[in-house]
Amino acid sequence: MSAVAIPAVRRESLWSKAAWKLARDRTGMIALAFVLLYMLVAVGVTAGWWAADWSEVRGGKWEAMSAAHWFGTNLIGQDIFARAVYSTKTAFEVGLVVAVLATVIGAALGAVAGFFNGSWIDEVLLWLMGVLDSIPFYLFVAAIVFAMQDNPYAMHIAMISTFWTSVGRLIRGEVIKLRGLEYVEAAHAISVPEFVIIIRHILPNTTHILLVQATIMFVSAIKSEVILSFLGLGVKDGMSWGLMIAESSQEVMAGFFNNFLAASVLMFGLVMAFNMFSDALQDALDPRKVG
Amino acid sequence: MEILQYTVRKLISGIPLVLGVTLISFLLMVYFGPDKTYELLGKNPTAQEIAEVRTQLGYDQPFLVRYVDYLRELVTLEFGNSDSTGEDVASLLARTIPISLALTGPGFVLGNLLGVLLALFAAFYRSTWVDKAIMASAVVGMSISFLIVIIAFQIIFASSYGLGWFPVRGWSVHSFGDYLSYVAVPTMAMVFVALGYNTRFYRSVLVEEMTRDHVRTARAFGVPPAKLFYKNILKNSMIPIITRVVFSIPLVIISGSLLIESYFGIPGVGKITYDAIISGDQPVLKAVVGLTAILFVLAQLLTDILYRAVDPRISLK
Amino acid sequence: MQADTQPLLSVRDLVIEFTTENGVVRAADGISFDVHENETLGIVGESGCGKTVTGLSILGLIPSPPGRVAGGSIRFMGRELVGLPDSEMRNIRGRDISMIFQEPMTALNPVFTVGNQMTDVLRRHRGLTRRQARDAAIEMLAKVGIPVPAKRIDEYPHQLSGGMRQRVMIAMALSCDPKLLIADEPTTALDVTTQAQVLEQIAGLQSEFKMAVVLITHDLGIVAETCRRAIVMYCGRIVENAAIERLFEAPRHPYAKGLLESIPRLRRERLDELPIIPGRVPNLLHLPPGCRFAARCPRADALCREQSPALVPAGPHGDFIACHHPHPGQQAEPAA
Repeated sequence: MSAVAIPAVRRESLWSKAAWKLARDRTGMIALAFVLLYMLVAVGVTAGWWAADWSEVRGGKWEAMSAAHWFGTNLIGQDIFARAVYSTKTAFEVGLVVAVLATVIGAALGAVAGFFNGSWIDEVLLWLMGVLDSIPFYLFVAAIVFAMQDNPYAMHIAMISTFWTSVGRLIRGEVIKLRGLEYVEAAHAISVPEFVIIIRHILPNTTHILLVQATIMFVSAIKSEVILSFLGLGVKDGMSWGLMIAESSQEVMAGFFNNFLAASVLMFGLVMAFNMFSDALQDALDPRKVG
Repeated sequence: MEILQYTVRKLISGIPLVLGVTLISFLLMVYFGPDKTYELLGKNPTAQEIAEVRTQLGYDQPFLVRYVDYLRELVTLEFGNSDSTGEDVASLLARTIPISLALTGPGFVLGNLLGVLLALFAAFYRSTWVDKAIMASAVVGMSISFLIVIIAFQIIFASSYGLGWFPVRGWSVHSFGDYLSYVAVPTMAMVFVALGYNTRFYRSVLVEEMTRDHVRTARAFGVPPAKLFYKNILKNSMIPIITRVVFSIPLVIISGSLLIESYFGIPGVGKITYDAIISGDQPVLKAVVGLTAILFVLAQLLTDILYRAVDPRISLK
Repeated sequence: MQADTQPLLSVRDLVIEFTTENGVVRAADGISFDVHENETLGIVGESGCGKTVTGLSILGLIPSPPGRVAGGSIRFMGRELVGLPDSEMRNIRGRDISMIFQEPMTALNPVFTVGNQMTDVLRRHRGLTRRQARDAAIEMLAKVGIPVPAKRIDEYPHQLSGGMRQRVMIAMALSCDPKLLIADEPTTALDVTTQAQVLEQIAGLQSEFKMAVVLITHDLGIVAETCRRAIVMYCGRIVENAAIERLFEAPRHPYAKGLLESIPRLRRERLDELPIIPGRVPNLLHLPPGCRFAARCPRADALCREQSPALVPAGPHGDFIACHHPHPGQQAEPAA
């Protein structure tokens, strides 16, 4: 009985230790503050507090920065600042949807593969991961986008179906490791059903990996969105930094940089902050890491 | 002889992967892909005309027959002609793949070499300001989108608003000098984007290897730190390094060049793939996807053979 | 008899600190001892008592960060090793002082042949050519009892058994004729038969090479068989330093006594239950103000809990003890 209780204690101390370590990591906390600031901007857009007029034509072509248009206006006179702010929401939406779903799918399939390690289920899942990793990402996205016609979530689905494999592999490895541990064997011995063992005893012990992976995928999703939107495969309705950069790729040759700079700087800020937060999280959650 | 047997065995074991990749791609790109019937027809086609075109395109065949046809094309390397240009797909690939290799090769090699070099520096000066500066720069580099780097470098190095040293776009290479001037900006962009990721990855590999017992043994016998790195640690780190390098080759050729080529208007395999995606040019897509899958199997074979060269514990079994 | 000769190695008030996420830990605190030429000194204690870091610190191999030598001195042949630049330390490592490690599985580099690793040492420290170094390495392998050394030299560590690997380590360690060998649990990972053979090997080579040995182990049986003098460490400190016969016949520190009593094979009378030391080793982060053993010690009183005992000379034979209330020890000194 006590053998089953041990991991719970260990887990708890891992989390409280990690929280304490994270709180002392100055870079990590500054990064987190930035992420939260971006998140507030995104929430504000969703709630309609600001940037609701991003699609309205409110000025002339390529106006310079002014009090009315902080970043100037684009080719058809829309306010660049409003568009860049609105794109924050798009970035968060893409990042969250992809990160959460890919993590969940990866965790579930990885756990199943690991638990049935050596059986045909594991073989099939490994083969599937290998296959998905071997299809060039942009080709795969393009194929899904075309196959799904004009579904606005085609891009999300494409990213989720390729991103989950890295989580899946990690969780599979972790589960194979955890399966051999005493408390899982103890649970086996008192004939706890296998899926209960996975959900109650194994997956909770992989949450630190999942959390870190989710932050990494959030960043990848935002970065991929920009490139996909530029290629015409991404966001269809609405506005995103990728679409702004796509727009600007013609403008920069004519010497108008506002669109490009606004989208680039805002995107860089979010990705950078998230990367640094992700690093801090990894440091805090790595039990091997000293000092 | 042993190597040959191993190669054959390995290639056979790669068949499920090729089948999986081609099946999924075929399903998505061809079966659920754009229907080209009406593009090939005039206005107000008759039912018979429609049926004829569908037969010509193979749409009237069952899925399995079409897929097996595709596999046969893959084995014989006869993919037919491009829907868009009418050019033979095999000769199209023979023309574009070398361009992509020439375009992405220098950036790929430099990005990895510099990455290992910087990682060696960072690991050697672990926890000092050198390490911290390198790793902080790596995070900054990782946070900038490839697209932004391409556009920014084009402005800075190629446009009249910047230095204007290199051609803005295109690929009219007639001499080695031409080649250098056209490849310069894409190479810089590729190196810049890959460097952050590579340095971080290689550093973590090296640092992990540094903490091994045998490194402590070597130190206990007076091996100087520099030799420790270039002899002991580097060779022991080769397996993850080889894996990363070799497995990124297929993706760099296709995905890596797709964005660069479509942005700079360079007629490589990435560009024709991108165009094929946009226009639904199935013969080209089928060829590219199939060849990528085969490249992955070859990459696997190559890594296994290289593993054995660096680690005596691994045998070709 | 020992007092008038200059010790080969003299450690004084050595302090080794590690920075952990929960604060600074003193893994070794105020360690002092001498090692004389040709002598075998045992360092015994439970795992985590600081014996391995003490061994590593002599060669300047404390992993830094997080560890560092925070104080004290280590003099080897009259030369101060603490604070010696790494470039000079490297000339000592493997030549004047050698070290062998616990895990023969991982201590050798798996991707280089035995010969490659051995000749590296020989060429660096003895300036031999490739050819000469190879011959010398084969000779050394033969000396440590490896059959067909000319063939084994071209094999990789994974092709050798555990005992064979440890012999290769010993051959490598002795190849430059060191004056001091530090052996950190050299036989712990081996099976019992191989253990005995390897220990015999070390003892035999010690007299042949005329070197001193510091043997770090948790196994008192090994100490009894091989050492003339032993140090007992507890929780980062030396509690007793005594000649082996005095230590085993009449240990004075309660911890040393408890440790000896917990070895079954040394006891003559049958006991119903093996005596154990009650309680647990204190956390190095939260050490008690007084004696670190006080909480587990049957003789402890208020003084022990308040004031840490210093390591002081005990008796006329160079023994030391850190205890407020030691056991009386032997009444009559043996005629040594």
